[in-house]
Amino acid sequence: MAQLVQALVLGILIGGVYALMASGLTLIFGVMRIINIAQGAFLILVATVTWFLWRETGIDPILASVITTPMMFALGWVLYRTVVSRIRGQSASMSVLLTFGIALVIEGILNVTSGNKFRSATPAYFEQSFTIGSIHLPKPQVYGFLAAVVVLSGLYVILTRTWTGRAIRATSQNPSAAALVGVSATGTAALAFALGAASSGVGGSILSVLYPFFPASHYDWISRLLGIVVLGGLGSLPGAMVGALVLGLAETLTATYGSLRWSTLVFYLVIMVVLLVRPQGLFGARLREDGVAA
Amino acid sequence: MRSVRLPGFLARLPRSHLVAGLFLLAALLYPVVNPWNPYTQGVALLMFLLAIQAVSWNIISGYAGYTSLGHSMFLGLGSYTVAIIALHTGLNPLWIVPLGGITAVIVATLAGFVVLRTRGHAFVIITIALLLAAQILAVNLRPLTKGSDGITLELPFWSKDFQNIPFYYAFLLILVLTVLFSAWIRRTKFGTGLIAIREDEGKAAAIGVNTTRFKVLAFAASSFFIGVAGGVYAYFLTFLNPLGAFAILGSVMIVLSALVGGRGTLYGPLVGAFIVQLINEEATVYGGGTGTRVLIMGLLLVLTVLFLPAGLLPTVQGAWRRRHPEQVEYTDQTGAIGRPGGPVVTRDRALAELQTVAAEDALVAGEPLLQIKGASKRFGGLVAVDGADLTVRKGTITALIGPNGSGKTTLFNLVTGGMQADAGEVWLEGRRIDRMPPWKRGHLGLGRTFQVTRLFNEMSVLQNVVAPLPDGRWRTMFADAVSGAEADRARELLDVVGLARFAGQRAGDLSYGQQKLVELAQVLMLEPKLILLDEPAGGVNPSLLGRLTEVIRELNARGITFLVVEHNIPMVLGLCDPVVVFSRGRPIAEGEPEEIRNDPVVLDAYLGDDWRPPAAQAPARDRSRPELSTTDRG
Repeated sequence: MAQLVQALVLGILIGGVYALMASGLTLIFGVMRIINIAQGAFLILVATVTWFLWRETGIDPILASVITTPMMFALGWVLYRTVVSRIRGQSASMSVLLTFGIALVIEGILNVTSGNKFRSATPAYFEQSFTIGSIHLPKPQVYGFLAAVVVLSGLYVILTRTWTGRAIRATSQNPSAAALVGVSATGTAALAFALGAASSGVGGSILSVLYPFFPASHYDWISRLLGIVVLGGLGSLPGAMVGALVLGLAETLTATYGSLRWSTLVFYLVIMVVLLVRPQGLFGARLREDGVAA
Repeated sequence: MRSVRLPGFLARLPRSHLVAGLFLLAALLYPVVNPWNPYTQGVALLMFLLAIQAVSWNIISGYAGYTSLGHSMFLGLGSYTVAIIALHTGLNPLWIVPLGGITAVIVATLAGFVVLRTRGHAFVIITIALLLAAQILAVNLRPLTKGSDGITLELPFWSKDFQNIPFYYAFLLILVLTVLFSAWIRRTKFGTGLIAIREDEGKAAAIGVNTTRFKVLAFAASSFFIGVAGGVYAYFLTFLNPLGAFAILGSVMIVLSALVGGRGTLYGPLVGAFIVQLINEEATVYGGGTGTRVLIMGLLLVLTVLFLPAGLLPTVQGAWRRRHPEQVEYTDQTGAIGRPGGPVVTRDRALAELQTVAAEDALVAGEPLLQIKGASKRFGGLVAVDGADLTVRKGTITALIGPNGSGKTTLFNLVTGGMQADAGEVWLEGRRIDRMPPWKRGHLGLGRTFQVTRLFNEMSVLQNVVAPLPDGRWRTMFADAVSGAEADRARELLDVVGLARFAGQRAGDLSYGQQKLVELAQVLMLEPKLILLDEPAGGVNPSLLGRLTEVIRELNARGITFLVVEHNIPMVLGLCDPVVVFSRGRPIAEGEPEEIRNDPVVLDAYLGDDWRPPAAQAPARDRSRPELSTTDRG
């Protein structure tokens, strides 16, 4: 019983972190219908930068997101203005290929500059845990979860309470109507892309503590994130939360009762089953282009 | 490419095939002329291998437009299948390479059925996931794959003197087969259907293309030769492990090749593969590790997407055409010469040749053909169609008129399957069709045109008309679309609407009115019993409108029933009988044009005082009401 509770709580903790990581992906898709394959590479880039910051200055890896978040916001904004915005209006597959290319470039740069080896940030609390009764909660997981919750709440406030957030939501619902009432589509898209990239600032910092990584790990991460948003419904933020929790739980339960080797495969299995039963995902409304555009 | 005897035959061959043939000859002769150059041969055979993959990828991702980022998975599947079987049976890997292709096809078909039933983004996501899942499986299924240790195969059985020449020819052979396969697909109605899916999937379904079957089949077809090549590749390497067999960089190079050369073209991916493999070779020789190669491939991908999105071949072709403009032939030469009956085919003749399935039913006019019973459709709080009942009788030209937003187009969508009704039933000739997919309804004889024309702009006019599939038989699907019976029939139909001379033009270049006529010819290819016309007169000039009405009358005389949504009231009252008036999601009146014209309910809801008979007209009228504008689209 304790084992089950332990697995469930761990699953929720991991799910929270996944939710944060997936929020950027789903935000960018929601606003500009671009599947940002580079989101995984953003995470690994941040994790690598965090690792160096932690080793050189001794700063806590999760706290280092105070530095990496603005860094990623700027990178996202510049990337959108200089590269991604150039293919606006082209087919969706071109944007996938472009962001895939960006991911490869980031991987290549990391590989050439920092070497092709496994890294993991190990702050003092790395192997400590909180103990409640018979349940042990590793401190890194708990801190990571708390950071994720804080950032997600912040994101929620930005999206619902600020003009910028309303502009982003308006653009995602109806770009031309938003443009008519004075919301610049390009400006909003750049903001959304920058926000999406910035969300990987905290996500990547947490990743550097929780998981060992190397430059090519981004494939593993992007496929997890894609799994989450497919499960939740592309473009839906609440969907991403639920999808992340479901997959976090599925992963820990498999790791607890099955074997660790198979836990990543569960991801793909869940995705396939969901697509078979409910192609638009748990929360996704069928996109308008799925009907006849008459 | 059977005979080289006739110089005239060679002269008539398209230049691209000629170049390809010469290249093939050179590739065949190279090891004979220069047998002692193993390095060049090694580079060449890797070029062939990448080309096999890129040309195959092009079938699903170029023709059908569904991008796959995980296509190197099929190479790994082929490698593992052949290696495992060879290991357990002692057979030589080379003799069992087709099994690699079969495994690839099975996996592609299963995955395809899961992700290709719907439209949209799931496919590209799943392809990455599949590749990574395959990697994990290969690591974890130790008893079968020996996990990360990998499988070592026996060395080639031939003498060292032959070096890699047998592999060179094996890959070349598979490459030739792959290119021929891709070229054949492109020529069939299957290929035309795939391009239709890429251009406008909803429209493709409306003209009888079973989009699910087409996509799954295309995915399977795009996997077979890669799987076969994977088997040969395993033997060539004599060693395989999960990371090498399911390499992501391999997928990147496939995508990049097709993109650089020109996706969607026959030879583009081939040319691109040669270029990308050469760059990769140079990067390995001079640049060092995987990191550098990933960086170079990534940069190439970004630059190609930004600056050469169409690819090399189409871009070069476009530049060549601009510098050497061709005289556009406005006569349909092939059509005129190719027909056995003689050089001149008049429209009457073409009409006479038009054998519609409906013809035999023409005499039994009056029976219900289409019955809509209590159909409803709501969008959120808005009720677009509200328990509508409607019957269209055989042999009629039934009009459906009503104010904008009264639910006419939504009703069309419910009938043709573009949308699912929330409630109610739709029957066609005594068969319930409201649960059928759109293409099935097309096969039963239901065709439609769209309010705003939806032709496949990148295809020629003729290809547009060849594309529809009147039935779901495999024979129809693999019929030749470029020449033969299907193309002849399409030319006849273009004759019917009077546009045969535009057969070779790009559909997107035609005027709006002409596009409406082409769309009608396209629907006729379905051999329909009932055609739904959504505002056929909208945006069409008076002379074309005259032809359109004439064509509708002639077709109707040959037994085709019409249901027409139209705002051009003079045209409706002159052409149609009966007229049904729709308002707020359901019919409010039905009758002969004269009755409708005088029905006070209709005058009130739609026509307005302008149509009141002079005696009853009020002296002061409000002329500002816009309902009669012919260009108004709801």
